[in-house]
Amino acid sequence: MPSTPPDVRCRIEINGLRKDFLANGREVVAVDDASFRIDDGEFVALLGPSGCGKSTILNMVATLIAPTGGTIKVDGAPVSFGKPVRHVGYVFQKDTLFPWRTVEDNIGYSLELAGVPIGERRTRVAEAIHQAGLDGFARFYPASLSGGMRQRVSLMRTLISNPEILLMDEPFGALDTHTKLDMHSVLLGLWERQRQTVLFVTHDLGEALTLADRIILLSARPGRVKQDFRVDFPRPRDAVALRETRQYAELFSKVWHSLGEEFARSRST
Amino acid sequence: MRRASTLFWQILIGLGALALWEWGWNLHERLPWLIPDLLDPYFVSRPSVIFQQFLSMSCLVGRDGNWTFGVDGAFAKCMSRSENNLWIATFVTLKNTLWGFLTGVSSGFVLGLLLGRSNRLSQIFYPYITAFNSIPRIALAPIIILAFGIGDASKVVTAWLVVVFLVFFNTFEGARSVDRDHINASRLLGASEWQVTRTVIVPSTMAWLFASLSPAISFSLIGVIVGEFIGAEHGIGRMIIEAEARGEAAGMMVAVFVLMIAGVILSALVRRLQAYLLRWRPAQTVGG
Ligand SMILES: Nc1ncnc2c1ncn2[C@@H]1O[C@H](COP(=O)(O)OP(=O)(O)OP(=O)(O)O)[C@@H](O)[C@H]1O
Ligand SMILES: [Mg+2]
Repeated sequence: MPSTPPDVRCRIEINGLRKDFLANGREVVAVDDASFRIDDGEFVALLGPSGCGKSTILNMVATLIAPTGGTIKVDGAPVSFGKPVRHVGYVFQKDTLFPWRTVEDNIGYSLELAGVPIGERRTRVAEAIHQAGLDGFARFYPASLSGGMRQRVSLMRTLISNPEILLMDEPFGALDTHTKLDMHSVLLGLWERQRQTVLFVTHDLGEALTLADRIILLSARPGRVKQDFRVDFPRPRDAVALRETRQYAELFSKVWHSLGEEFARSRST
Repeated sequence: MRRASTLFWQILIGLGALALWEWGWNLHERLPWLIPDLLDPYFVSRPSVIFQQFLSMSCLVGRDGNWTFGVDGAFAKCMSRSENNLWIATFVTLKNTLWGFLTGVSSGFVLGLLLGRSNRLSQIFYPYITAFNSIPRIALAPIIILAFGIGDASKVVTAWLVVVFLVFFNTFEGARSVDRDHINASRLLGASEWQVTRTVIVPSTMAWLFASLSPAISFSLIGVIVGEFIGAEHGIGRMIIEAEARGEAAGMMVAVFVLMIAGVILSALVRRLQAYLLRWRPAQTVGG
């Protein structure tokens, strides 16, 4: 049960966020008046049907695109377009590993940029490779890895600089069910140790329930916050065993119903 | 099995062509419809004659018709007889080709990167570049010889001119098509503008640059040869022009064969380099 300490720090605060895109001369409202907040150490899943604006919200928090309206505050300070906040890490929906760098050079990239001396870098990279279960693959290029391995490298590339806030955009979206469950265990294991603040985008309800403390359900496009569910399964969680519990099944059907309405709406538009 | 039969056909065709070249002209009188006039040894010489000519031009065989190795000082004596003997000519041509290649590739890359990444610069310069590019570069060779003299500099400049545009356009395209997501990922991992350039834009553009290296080395050789045709003290190109003036078909053919071998070796080396530098690519696209 997550008890709420009185001095809890609000890490991400989003107010009246809006994004219009101009596509083929037509205005598309991708996100409309989305508001929510995420507290320190919370693992929040942003759930919604495809095309409802999840990536758009995340990209605005990451300062990759400029909002049309509304505000985003990280640690109380408004963020501005093109100026990434130092301790915010981002794991992309798409594979963005640098294909010309080996696994170890991809993972050590941010340390290299920060000028961390080579000795320390080596130790930290080796540790990260081990944590991700990639021993023996340090000198491989991304092209010769499987999708699941690439995603683990992406994860470690972001995690190695110990970001306090982690934005993840369907990082396991392209993986098969089995690999996905594997990755959930890996991610949960890493998160239990550091308890980063996480905003995790997904359209997979099972994934959201397995990982998150809270599920923010978005409506079909234009995305706005429809409902906010607490997921208070005990931690540490077992990604596989959890799915067989009664609480899981109950919460699943409750959210599923609400999500189903949005999927239906997203198809009819 | 397949490879053995391929090799068999290759050798058969090679030998057949050589035989036709060597003895075909003897049949010209009787079978004029089969043997074209072009096979006249006056124009194309004969393999056996060309081989003899090669031995004497390379000083492997002395003027007296004997092998030079083993005989003290015979090779050196033969070499000193000509300012532009086969060895010196080959060396000079290759040296200028490499310089043209290196200067052309590096300046083309820098220009392509600058213009490819700056909309402002590319808007300003693009019309000039397209205009220049539509001049057949070889047409400028006489002007370059006039301006830079008949020494090595003019050959390097001619080669540079041919190579630089090729590399420029490749790099330019490459610099424009750098994956936005890679740039974003790099920024979010803490890269400054300069670090983004160094660690993302340059390496991803490199892939495009490497693709232009093979044609670049061939172009460079062409540039040097054309420069040597127009005016030179040394080099294979000059050797061809001189042999032509003397009506020596065999001499020209030796020079052409040396160029062919040099071209094959140079592009094999460049392909090796390319495969090494692009080793991170999935196997099937290396060199593609
Ligand atoms: N650069 C853009 N230009 C125009 N329209 C865009 C752009 N990016 C997104 N959109 C539109 O905004 C809407 C939301 O897109 P977004 O990528 O945020 O969806 P999503 O919820 O992440 O979907 P998915 O789950 O499929 O990744 C979509 O309708 C999309 O067409
Ligand atoms: Mg998305």
